Amino acid sequence: MAEQASVQEVADAMYKMIKDSMGQKKWKATDLTKAVNELFGERCDKNIAKSAIRDLIESGKCVYTYFGGSFIEIPHKEGAEN
Amino acid sequence: MPEVQPKQQRKTDIGPPHYEKFLPPIIKENYGRWKYHEILKPGVMVTVSESGARLYTVRAASPRLLAIDKIRAYADLADKYSNGYLRFTSRNNVEFLLSDESKVDPLIAELGALGHPVGGMANSISSIVHTQGWVHCHSAATDASGVVKSVMDELVDYFTEMKLPGKLRIALACCLNMCGAVHCSDIAILGIHRRPPRVERDKLKAMCEIPSVVSACPTAAVRPATIDGVPSVEVIEERCMFCANCYTVCPAMKLNDPLNDGVSIWVGGKVSNARTEPMFSKLAIPFLPNNPPRWPEVTEAVRNLVEVWAKNARKYERMGEWINRIGWPRFFELTGIPFQKEHIDDFKHAGLTFKRSVHLTH
Amino acid sequence: MPEKKRKTPKLDELEKGAWPSFVKEIKTAAEKNAMAEDLLGQLERSYEEKIGHWKHGGIVGVLGYGGGVIGRYSDLPEEFPNVSHFHTMRINQPAGWFYTSDVLRKLCDIWEKHGSGLTNVHGSTGDLVFLGTRTEELEPTFKELTDLGFDLGGSGSDVRTPSCCCGMARCEWACYDTMALTYFLTMHYQDELHRPAFPYKWKFKMSGCPNDCVAAIARSDMSIIGTWRDDIRVDNAAVTEYAKSGMNIERDVVGNCPAKCMEWDGKEIKIDNKACVKCMHCINAMPKALAPGKDRGACILIGAKAPIVEGALLSSVLIPFIKLEPPYAELIDLVDRIHEVWSENGKNRERVGEFIQRVGMGNFLEAIGVEPIPEMVAHPRENPYVFYEEFFEEESEENPKP
Repeated sequence: MAEQASVQEVADAMYKMIKDSMGQKKWKATDLTKAVNELFGERCDKNIAKSAIRDLIESGKCVYTYFGGSFIEIPHKEGAEN
Repeated sequence: MPEVQPKQQRKTDIGPPHYEKFLPPIIKENYGRWKYHEILKPGVMVTVSESGARLYTVRAASPRLLAIDKIRAYADLADKYSNGYLRFTSRNNVEFLLSDESKVDPLIAELGALGHPVGGMANSISSIVHTQGWVHCHSAATDASGVVKSVMDELVDYFTEMKLPGKLRIALACCLNMCGAVHCSDIAILGIHRRPPRVERDKLKAMCEIPSVVSACPTAAVRPATIDGVPSVEVIEERCMFCANCYTVCPAMKLNDPLNDGVSIWVGGKVSNARTEPMFSKLAIPFLPNNPPRWPEVTEAVRNLVEVWAKNARKYERMGEWINRIGWPRFFELTGIPFQKEHIDDFKHAGLTFKRSVHLTH
Repeated sequence: MPEKKRKTPKLDELEKGAWPSFVKEIKTAAEKNAMAEDLLGQLERSYEEKIGHWKHGGIVGVLGYGGGVIGRYSDLPEEFPNVSHFHTMRINQPAGWFYTSDVLRKLCDIWEKHGSGLTNVHGSTGDLVFLGTRTEELEPTFKELTDLGFDLGGSGSDVRTPSCCCGMARCEWACYDTMALTYFLTMHYQDELHRPAFPYKWKFKMSGCPNDCVAAIARSDMSIIGTWRDDIRVDNAAVTEYAKSGMNIERDVVGNCPAKCMEWDGKEIKIDNKACVKCMHCINAMPKALAPGKDRGACILIGAKAPIVEGALLSSVLIPFIKLEPPYAELIDLVDRIHEVWSENGKNRERVGEFIQRVGMGNFLEAIGVEPIPEMVAHPRENPYVFYEEFFEEESEENPKP
């Protein structure tokens, strides 16, 4: 059994995915979880993915957004903001 | 950016306070031991415990949208009459919880003076459950509070008295998103758009992702298109059913239209299991215009529906139960509402709503 | 203080009449609050033009949470600068909407300091709604709320704030403790409530009896509706009192029984309880004489929603009867299995009811490990297009007889 990925490692991978597809694709929490599971294989489980998302949000590197459903994005100025 | 407390000082995930903190002693003592209740008069109910304790509830109307000044006025009344204990109902009424029966009438008088009629129990119209409308919503096809105020000004006697055959529940949603259970109401007032979204191409490019906008459409009326060399979307107008789902995911797909937005009226839904199973409301009037500030067409239509039902229904019969007994042809005849093409369903499983027998009155 | 009073002839019309006026409420707030004053102006404009003037914001919130704040901006910020931001905060209500005057005053003080002074008591889902503030006020408001012991409610693709009827606190018909379960679920799912991780929203609503005062069956993904399994309790002396007071028991009570399981001979009510469908009508009609049985619990139904996206649905039976007592292990286990299957396979903006429609109830039940039973359907299928999964194969060397 391979050594488990660290939360930091998974969070970094998620951040890269979000950054690389800005404006093309919005990521939901479940999409990110599935994507890192694929990337890390058995080195990553749901709990690690969940902690990684929480780290991204609480560090302010990412925020939750809502456009008909909830997504995780890199903070940006709101389109609707005056 | 706003200043944020250091993480270690922030309290998060504490949830709401435990409800026990806010229960009056009489409720704590008799929790789960209530034996029966009785409506003493409109808006006043006594709940009697196995122990013999008697809890008096006084229910008053509220516009739901309250200034803090009014909440403080409620708090003052609660201090004066119910030892500081009060609650709110699922239909936005305020309820004072009294242990002393002698305080009921003085409280009713003060609520009256404050402009909050007491009622809404048993065979009456309770407050209208409603949404935000133009006060706060981005997708509203009509106002909510103004229509509700206009309709209830007209029907207030049915709130303060108990003269109807059964309960009547009215709800209003200012668009098809239907925040609140309007789709299962005796009478539902629903804000509607009638024109397809107008694509604001610059905004769409900046704010929205084309695949999300396309996949948001339940009828595949929105499809990707390159316009002047720029990726965008186009709308196949004859496929659009004006649901505004695309607008919810993308603000560049506006449907608002002062000329064509308005209100539709639906009847015969219920959520209670009493007698008959829960039912959806059905279309009664496909379109009435937005006519602020008083929406006379809407208030007149609702008043007519209430009166025709009240005159013809049997005791306990809800709107939908009454219609099921007399049949839809008779409903349209009695209410004088013209039946037209829009009344016939043409979405999924529409065939199930056609009349598939010769059980007809002639 | 706003310098001059705005003219609002259209809205002024709505100060008249016997029903409490929301315009009066806004005007009261506007005497002290510039946001409320500009709200009045923008609303008058909407009344003139018959169109809304709000833009939807999707980013604002408090740190760490993905729910509880609804972003809102005016599309006329030059004319109404004080509502250029006008965000809503959803505050998780105490179960059953019980308050004391003391705590209400403290909530008002917070909102006087940080927002428009306008509220909804309550919003459609059940939260206490603080209506209208600026982005920079969100964190300070949140801090004062948590210091007072309150937290934000749900919004977005998360567990929405659970809500319930007043249950055992004031109703003799409550078949389980709705407020206790609501509080328990709210606390148990705090993470799921604040950090959206689902395909779309998930609503729990708890009604203590089949009268369903919180409309659980119409609008919650999981509707938990109280019911009972044993006999309706009858006090025939009290029935006779109702008859004496003029109630037509034969016509109005027995005649309305959907199961036709009652008889009244002028002295006694007889009920065939095996046939009773627990509709509540007779109990509603004679609350002093009849009461639900003593073997009480709840029916769990799944999948209700309003029309967006694929059409409205009512919830349907998943578990016909369950006892609901702490620690609610059986319920939590069921909910977690549903969440797992739906999260894994649901599409963006697909409520669990729509998910079930897409994959089929039979497949859904199999995935969550619940046996199909006839209580789940109004009637078996009418169409013959069955996706058979079991079939026989000819015996062969690769497929020997077992």
